[in-house]
Amino acid sequence: MHMTLLPQQDGLTIRVDEKRLDAMVATAFKDRVRSMIGASGPPVTLDLGAVDFMDSSGLGAVIAIYKAMPPDRPLVLARLTPNVARVFRLTRMDTVLNIRQDPDNGIQMESPAP
Amino acid sequence: MSLSSSPAEKRLRQPPPGRHPMFHRIFRADPETVRAALLFMRERFDGSAEDEVIAKLELALAEVLNNICEHGTRTEAMRLGGRPHAPLIHLCVARHVGGIACAVTDDGRPLPLSCLDPRDLPYVDPAPGDTASILLLPEGGFGWYLIQELTATLSYFREGHRNFLAFIVPVTEALLPCPPPVAAS
Repeated sequence: MHMTLLPQQDGLTIRVDEKRLDAMVATAFKDRVRSMIGASGPPVTLDLGAVDFMDSSGLGAVIAIYKAMPPDRPLVLARLTPNVARVFRLTRMDTVLNIRQDPDNGIQMESPAP
Repeated sequence: MSLSSSPAEKRLRQPPPGRHPMFHRIFRADPETVRAALLFMRERFDGSAEDEVIAKLELALAEVLNNICEHGTRTEAMRLGGRPHAPLIHLCVARHVGGIACAVTDDGRPLPLSCLDPRDLPYVDPAPGDTASILLLPEGGFGWYLIQELTATLSYFREGHRNFLAFIVPVTEALLPCPPPVAAS
């Protein structure tokens, strides 16, 4: 499970350096991120820009991480690729979780407008 | 396990000219074998339909295969001297005119028929800032909802010791005619 911790001025970014968040890695992913986040500290951004495939196990892990955050400590999901955005949208978790709409990657579009 | 392959190996995996892709594989249910099968399938079907369709195919198959890994193993003494054994999966995928047809069989525990009932999302709608209801968010139960959303003509039967599940992932565009085989010069 490859991840990189990138301290920012206004928070903490965890970059997931894995192409797949699937049943093979979901538990390790969840445990690893939770240990990286720690109990207290600044807001966290989870950078999913490298993740090209996520199934419901990966989704469940993201939800578990979200639920484990202290109420006063935000978790933002950033740089979703189309395949990852689709899973959040189909399960309507995009309406519950905190997803950053990045201006540079237009990820919410199923296909680019002509 | 290396997931990359040489150009020559990739060429061998492509359907021959004038044919549409098919894929068949037999493997023990395990998250690692499932991942390998999906990666191989994606490589083979790449370009045979829109990227979005191939992505939906991969997600639907992942959910079906994950369920077999997670719930299919027989714990009672059935085979292998009474030891639990992971189900043996037969997976067949074929591109047809109306979609991509999938057949998945396994010798694991019977699929509960309620999985095939129309279902709603395991969904709670937390009010903004309502931390108590965020804690009620489901972390699972999405698999069959996704399968039903992504597939059509989902059908199931059990025969002998095997589950048989078949479905189609619809395509958004009709099958493009294959390029004619390149004549040998």
